[in-house]
Amino acid sequence: MFSSARRIIAMAKKEVLHVQRDPRSLYLALGMPVVLVILFGYGVSFDMDHLPLAVMDDDRTPASREIVQHLYASGEFERVDAGGLAPDEAHRLFEQRIALAVLVIPRGFEEHLTRGEPQQLQLLVDGLESNTATQIMGKADAVVRQSVARTLAARGGGLAQPYDVSVNAWFNPASRSALFLVPGLVAFVLALVCVMLTALTLAREFERGSMAQLFVTPVSTGEIMIGKLLPYFALGAVAVLLVLAAGTWIFDVPMRGDPIALAVAASLFLLGMLGQGLVISIVTKNQMVATQVATMTSMLPTLLLSGFLFPIENMPLALRVLSNVIPARYFIHALRGILLRGNGFAEIRGDLLALSIFAAVVLGIGALRFKRELT
Amino acid sequence: MSDGPSSEHSIEVSHLAKAFGTFKAVDDVSFHVEKGEIFGYLGANGAGKSTTIRMLCGLLKPTSGTALVAGFDIAKNPEGVKRSIGYMSQKFSLYLDLTVEQNLEFFGGIYGAGGKELRMRIDRALDEVSMQELRTTLTGALPGGLRQRLALASSLLHRPSIVFLDEPTAGVDPSSRRDFWKLIRHLSQSGTTVFVTTHYMDEAEYCARIGMMVAGKLVALDTPAELKRTLVPGRTIRIEGDLVASAVPSLRAHAGVIGAETFGAGLHVRIDPARMKDDQVAALCTAAGARVTLSERVDPTLEDVFIAAADAGAP
Repeated sequence: MFSSARRIIAMAKKEVLHVQRDPRSLYLALGMPVVLVILFGYGVSFDMDHLPLAVMDDDRTPASREIVQHLYASGEFERVDAGGLAPDEAHRLFEQRIALAVLVIPRGFEEHLTRGEPQQLQLLVDGLESNTATQIMGKADAVVRQSVARTLAARGGGLAQPYDVSVNAWFNPASRSALFLVPGLVAFVLALVCVMLTALTLAREFERGSMAQLFVTPVSTGEIMIGKLLPYFALGAVAVLLVLAAGTWIFDVPMRGDPIALAVAASLFLLGMLGQGLVISIVTKNQMVATQVATMTSMLPTLLLSGFLFPIENMPLALRVLSNVIPARYFIHALRGILLRGNGFAEIRGDLLALSIFAAVVLGIGALRFKRELT
Repeated sequence: MSDGPSSEHSIEVSHLAKAFGTFKAVDDVSFHVEKGEIFGYLGANGAGKSTTIRMLCGLLKPTSGTALVAGFDIAKNPEGVKRSIGYMSQKFSLYLDLTVEQNLEFFGGIYGAGGKELRMRIDRALDEVSMQELRTTLTGALPGGLRQRLALASSLLHRPSIVFLDEPTAGVDPSSRRDFWKLIRHLSQSGTTVFVTTHYMDEAEYCARIGMMVAGKLVALDTPAELKRTLVPGRTIRIEGDLVASAVPSLRAHAGVIGAETFGAGLHVRIDPARMKDDQVAALCTAAGARVTLSERVDPTLEDVFIAAADAGAP
């Protein structure tokens, strides 16, 4: 028992020396996450404003001007001069990407409004960028309704709108996408870095022949694995803290839930990712192949199938099923729950279970495949 | 040193074989090595030397046959084997980005040593290979000869009763090779069994006994002197001069000639002293059109032995 601990410590210490000697892995582990968070945090944003919008006002009345003024005053839309736009001019505006939307206010708008007759406005939207189009529709709709309501109220409130929807975004009242993105980023960055770190470390020993040397010593494969995991686990933990700190300071991501639950979830996720790297290393035994496999198996699933950017509910069935074995899915879910919804252990039990299973499975596969034999 | 079950011999191999598919890398090999002996294992590349060593170190499972190393069965108790042996592979396998001392600390730790005990062992190991002043040097900055000495030192840290050295001097300059063999002889004198493979026939002369591998088979096994006597019978005459190589066919045709091989710039001709006189060899060469400048009786070298053994072992 005692000498086993000594062997593990010797292994871990050696790994620390490698990292010290070649600080590139340190940059990879600590620098890259922070850089990625900042890049992604600023660069990838679903928040849109100053959307180019043209208005074709065929009515030219106080009521129609009220709407136009409201639209541009909100800051959501950028004025694009439509001039004396003919109806088919909208096509040209879209084609040349001058405007992403055109609002048509038909002649007689005010007249109908005053008489209390139903009224139709036309909103043409460039549907190519569907996400943008959806946002434009929502925003324009809200502004127009508000504006019409105000006009009606100013005229003695003859006809109030039949209903009033009050939207209240819980947990994220300002609907800032950073709140949604940062937890996903934490998972993405950790997956990428941790899988890469361990994928390289064992493959390097196989390549250089030092693995054969280790195999003739009493050190067991389990001890090698634990000795390799310890320092990178510590490094990963520091990376988690760094990324969360960056999220808090730069993007005001709150910490509403149980920090211990967060620590447990992060630890399990780290173990799984480091274990995945070890398995890649053990199977490929080659640094270059290991790097490629590590990138493919950590980056793509975490980016596409984890719910980081694209909601899992909207995926086709096959991908939805596949996403069940992507550990990042559970970690992101748990992280959003803890950071934003104020969750604790009770709410993320399922996620913790899934993360534990993944970690146990990859480490198990690693232990089984890692033989102290040469071929 | 061995804490395993006692056996007379340090290594005992019987009918050991290893096949990779249909290729028999090691084919029914049996031998034993005495305690404290320097045992040389010779053979061309691919003859099965490294495969044998890897099996004896517990890195490869034999296809059939058994072997006891330091009293432990290599198939049933590889852990026992690993505790009692040191191994130095032909590929330098210490960490180049660690210092001399850090490498030794690591391998000491891997064998479960720590604290004061480990300090003492590192100190002693560095003394043995005279590398004290290089403690804090980066291993990658050491020249080949010193790297080999460091690798030896690290394989001796846990005081093994047997060390396996797989071509320890490959690619090392001659003077470093000599120094290295001084270390090996010193080890053997202090009771450690040394199992060594090499390409260099001059090094093989240092071995107490030699096993020769040809195509996976152990074709000869004895002391260097005895191997020369039995495998290179007759008298060896060295011939030097111009165009001597062209005389080989007519030499071989002579009834008194056992064998004729080019050897360096000249020929080694083995004759049966009962059927042929020494100076007849030179006469034959001259008759074949060569200009002989030297004809003398020489002791056969291990190279002669190796050629003879390879001929004998060839199917």
